Amino acid sequence: MAYSDKVLDHYNNPRNVGALDKSSDEVGTGLVGAPECGDVMRLQIRVNPETQVIEEAKFRTFGCGSAIASSSLATEWVKGKTVDEALGIKNTDIVKELALPPVKIHCSVLAEDAIRAAIGDWKKKNHVSEAVEVAVAAK
Amino acid sequence: MSTTLTTSAPATCWACSTALGESPLLCVACGKVQPTTSLDYFHAFALARKLQIDLPGLEREFHRLSRRLHPDRFARATPQEQEWSLAATALLNDAYRTLRDPIARVEYLLKLEGLEIGEEHAGVNKRADRQPPADLLEEVFELNMQLEEMRMTQKMGESDPSLQRDLKSARTKFETLLSEVDNDLATQGRAWDEGDAATRPAAAKAMAALLDRRRYLRNLVRDVNQVLGA
Ligand code: FES
Ligand SMILES: [Zn+2]
Repeated sequence: MAYSDKVLDHYNNPRNVGALDKSSDEVGTGLVGAPECGDVMRLQIRVNPETQVIEEAKFRTFGCGSAIASSSLATEWVKGKTVDEALGIKNTDIVKELALPPVKIHCSVLAEDAIRAAIGDWKKKNHVSEAVEVAVAAK
Repeated sequence: MSTTLTTSAPATCWACSTALGESPLLCVACGKVQPTTSLDYFHAFALARKLQIDLPGLEREFHRLSRRLHPDRFARATPQEQEWSLAATALLNDAYRTLRDPIARVEYLLKLEGLEIGEEHAGVNKRADRQPPADLLEEVFELNMQLEEMRMTQKMGESDPSLQRDLKSARTKFETLLSEVDNDLATQGRAWDEGDAATRPAAAKAMAALLDRRRYLRNLVRDVNQVLGA
């Protein structure tokens, strides 16, 4: 399969590979799997408690080139966003940016799932989930 | 979902109108090749949509039909029939490759039943429900880290006996889990075969979940074997 230049760029030169301290209150960890293929991805964020801005993001992906590129791109995109802004990142944005073919869409879904899981973990640690549920319920 | 379970391909030969019982690809009466449109893999072998298959019988039937459908035999037939024989041969090959592999067979059956395994998985198992248990994910992730460490060590021409031992015991564990999943798949497969419209959805859903779980285990066993040199 031919990968797009952007996928190759992230694949050969992945941004933000690594780990953050899982036990820190400022860190949210998302560990997710793609049932379609059995690949796994861990994405971590460090959030500034005052501003709720994601200041650092790291990933480890054991999977295909598209999954590595999707998670690399995801870490770039979440950095500098508030957690709520980061929740707005959709897998379709990743598909567009990386020009992923239909059979590789699930790789981008994995990255979106990882962002959501990391933010969910951070919210749970910092007891902010309730506020969001109230806001949703009030709509 | 109204996917029909009964064979409903065109039931008679286009050339001589004989009923196409034994194989929908070929007329037993006049030997003419039949159009393959709308035939699924089970149809191609005149099999019911079931998971327990007589493999030696499948193989015999594959060879018999392959010989009879071979495009060389239609060299002097009409262009339409030549085209059909090519299409029938291609379908037969795909059908055989899929049905003889027990896992591919289940995946294919679930797809026919509208439980997409790949994208837009709108079937019974919602994506959020398809995440494996957290402890399995943790283990899969940890083992992947160890595998990478092992690859690095090997690349530098070194050996790490304790890591090697860990990987070997992990391999045993995941092979066991994999064979448990395969046993459960066989059990659900029998439930499907013997079930009816009321009980089959539960079996299908269970099989889809087992296949999801199996993909992680299969990857790990494959990767560990690769690193340990099988
Ligand atoms: S093939 Fe599974 S994540 Fe890409
Ligand atoms: Zn006929």
